[in-house]
Amino acid sequence: MVYRRIAVFGGVYSNYRALAATIEDARRHQAEALFCLGDLGGFGPCPDRVYPLLREAGVQVMRGNYDVSLADGLTDCGCGYTDPRDNYYAALSYEYTFRHTSEENKHWLRTLPDVLRVQVGSYRLHMCHGSPRQVNEFLWESTTPDGFLSKLCGDYEADVLLCTHTGIKWHRRLPDDRHAVNVGVIGRPENDGETHVWYTLLTAAPDLQVAFIPVYYDYEALARDMRQEQLPEAFVETIRSGWWTTCLEVLPGKERACGRW
Amino acid sequence: MQTIPQAPFHNLHALWFQLTGTLCNLACSHCFISCSPTNHALKFVAPETVYRYLDEAETHGVREVYFTGGEPFLHKQIIPILARSLQAAATSVLTNGTLITPTVADELAALATTSRYSLEMRISLDDVDEARNDAVRGKGALRRALRALRLLQERGLPPIVAVTEYFYEAPETTPQEPGSGSGFYQKFRDFLLENGIEKPRLKVIPVFAMGKLHPSETGAAYVTPGMMHGFDVTTLQCTKSRIVADGGVYACPLLVGEPEARLSENSLSEAMQPCSLYHTACHTCYVTGMTCSNY
Ligand code: SF4
Ligand code: SF4
Repeated sequence: MVYRRIAVFGGVYSNYRALAATIEDARRHQAEALFCLGDLGGFGPCPDRVYPLLREAGVQVMRGNYDVSLADGLTDCGCGYTDPRDNYYAALSYEYTFRHTSEENKHWLRTLPDVLRVQVGSYRLHMCHGSPRQVNEFLWESTTPDGFLSKLCGDYEADVLLCTHTGIKWHRRLPDDRHAVNVGVIGRPENDGETHVWYTLLTAAPDLQVAFIPVYYDYEALARDMRQEQLPEAFVETIRSGWWTTCLEVLPGKERACGRW
Repeated sequence: MQTIPQAPFHNLHALWFQLTGTLCNLACSHCFISCSPTNHALKFVAPETVYRYLDEAETHGVREVYFTGGEPFLHKQIIPILARSLQAAATSVLTNGTLITPTVADELAALATTSRYSLEMRISLDDVDEARNDAVRGKGALRRALRALRLLQERGLPPIVAVTEYFYEAPETTPQEPGSGSGFYQKFRDFLLENGIEKPRLKVIPVFAMGKLHPSETGAAYVTPGMMHGFDVTTLQCTKSRIVADGGVYACPLLVGEPEARLSENSLSEAMQPCSLYHTACHTCYVTGMTCSNY
């Protein structure tokens, strides 16, 4: 399929309110198709609420590590944390999400692909969750070198690599008009003290244009949902303050220096 | 006689340099390669050699570069070497921190802020108690490491603290709730916070029975062929990293300088081949899933 403009997002993390706002905004920007790079659950409240929204909007969804774990009934989320403090929170939210995701939705996750390939203008896009070679590899801006990205573009025959998983967006122009884009996540803000989330618009004009679009949504309502579901106050604080309070140990130095904690 | 299992080579995620060989200004009682101010067994790696291997590593799509020793800050060319490395990829230095003076910290901060990629300083500690720490690492070691942590933090470089489980007491079988845990991990976190390190970053490393802690042969355990069935071999760092040191390219930072672990005299590409899991350290890797890299 060849598109002119598409919208891509990752990491829904059960934030059904941000998802609804993202879908609406992408339509307003005349995106011809919407893509989700996985991790539908975790962190937020009432995981089953995101599934009907995705299906009704015809979003093309692929699986992230969280979705693989839920689909296969694994005992942890496979996020790849090493720190016991991170693992404490990760275990808590995985257990909650597993318990509140219906069998039907878990089955649906099993039917989803692990990679998506489409074309925008003349650009061949390779969409993955973490990295093309490993579902839970973290591609942070400050630890992902150009040489590595160029090699991946070659290995996977792509002009544009798209990923998510880390929670912080970035775009890198590579030689020969190749690109790598971490599309960010819509499930939680990106550790900059702002409460909105981000998705990405890709347009062939005919040169590739990459635009990060902020999504403003009712985060106070989400915080109320989370408290009602008795999710950890540390998670609620992130939604309301825009600063990450958990899963910080995987951040590289540069990204860690930018945050508050 | 059993055959020795091998680990395949997958990709060059990390390239390591044992920059200062076995020379260190400290002589920790648990050092796994027995470094000291007088151990010249493995020599320094020359800057030109570092640059040549970095060029080669870039063509293989390397993601991270690490410098270790000995003590890397004994190398007079450390700053230009780090500058070149940061052009290629995120770079980490494993150090005892005692040689990080305000001037050195300024130079590191200048490098870090102008680079697109992260520069990480990973500073080793063994205990939060000065007497216990310094009994292993030498007098004044804790105080000087803390000074380095503060100097780096003040310059916007949140350091990583690496702790071996040398003084490990009770196993943390379940993840600890922040603030309520009394475990090993929490102890260091609290210590760093109390000392004004606002973003505590910790790396806990199992103790390897080698170097100055080498066990008697009878107590040694090895990886056997049977253990490889159903085992995810990619958890072993030797499937995705190599280390350059005096004498050539070796399988991993733990077996640096060991003739059996040397895979090439002078070529990274040649060293990107399967390696033998012949050592007792391989058994520790197998059991703990340990990696020398930051995450
Ligand atoms: S500081 Fe590190 S290299 Fe030096 S003796 Fe201690 S453990 Fe060995
Ligand atoms: S010590 Fe560990 S990393 Fe090194 S070769 Fe053995 S298994 Fe691999």
